Amino acid sequence: MSGYRFDRLKILVVDDNQHMRKLVVAILQAFGTTQIYEASNGTRALALMREAPDVVILDWMMDEMNGIEFTREVRTSPASPNPYVPIIMLTGHTSAECVQQARDAGINEFLAKPVSVKAMLARLTAVIEYPRPFVRTKVYFGPCRRRRHRDDYKGLERRSEFEIVDRVAS
Amino acid sequence: MGKSKPIEIFTPPNMLKAKAGGTGLGLDAAALKRAEAAMEELKTEFAEWMNADVEKLVEGRNAFAKDPCADTHGRLYRASHDLKGQALTFEHPVVARMAASLCKLLDGAINTPLLLVDAHVNAIRILARQNVRDVSDPTTNAVAAELEAQVREIQAA
Repeated sequence: MSGYRFDRLKILVVDDNQHMRKLVVAILQAFGTTQIYEASNGTRALALMREAPDVVILDWMMDEMNGIEFTREVRTSPASPNPYVPIIMLTGHTSAECVQQARDAGINEFLAKPVSVKAMLARLTAVIEYPRPFVRTKVYFGPCRRRRHRDDYKGLERRSEFEIVDRVAS
Repeated sequence: MGKSKPIEIFTPPNMLKAKAGGTGLGLDAAALKRAEAAMEELKTEFAEWMNADVEKLVEGRNAFAKDPCADTHGRLYRASHDLKGQALTFEHPVVARMAASLCKLLDGAINTPLLLVDAHVNAIRILARQNVRDVSDPTTNAVAAELEAQVREIQAA
């Protein structure tokens, strides 16, 4: 049993559908979370980033500012209160292309609808236990998009022409 | 070739782990059980939520029929996309299948044929109203297959 203190966490739930928000909030409350902030679009969610949420659970398709735009803003805006905040995208967009687009925006984890309690807990556990290192390049800032350590990476080495600098943020 | 700007890879301090604690050994069974129970309780509201989402789809359809532009097309697409995900969560897999087909139809140019949009929307309304959830029902499967075939045909054209 992992025994996480979810009661210590502040979680921001962003979805334009009030029923999905209610469902996600109910699950989080059952986990023990009490500090839950809700927003119906990315613009409102950005304002709530001042409350310093520890995790963001985010829908993709929303009016005004969608989940992808919100994520880019959080990761790259100089005004962002926490560019490292773990973002879990909860969406019905499950094609490989969409997952790639979400990763390129800087999300940490992807949670496909339908919502299940087990999947939600698994993603929260993932961001707590297995945080991805961050990558900063000319065109990207966000969690590393490779699932495994780069020594295990067998694909095309897109970073080979670059100097790679490893450090632990202090 | 000269070196471009270096890539920096770094590990921010894991403040989340420091805050949440835990042993890291598997999923929290007690939390899981509590949340499953909360989800069960909420299921009594699923029918009402489904109806609200279907109503939103109908409103989106009506707006698109009245004024077929990028704005109303986008609104209808978002409503169908919402329903695709929500219907699965609310345990209406047949509605989810029809909504997925409608999404596919709308995922492109705005000159979407209204008749085919209507065929999807009407089917979804009836399925939701009659609470049809059986994915093996031959009639629903035939309707879904026909709608999907017509969408494929339009996309291939």
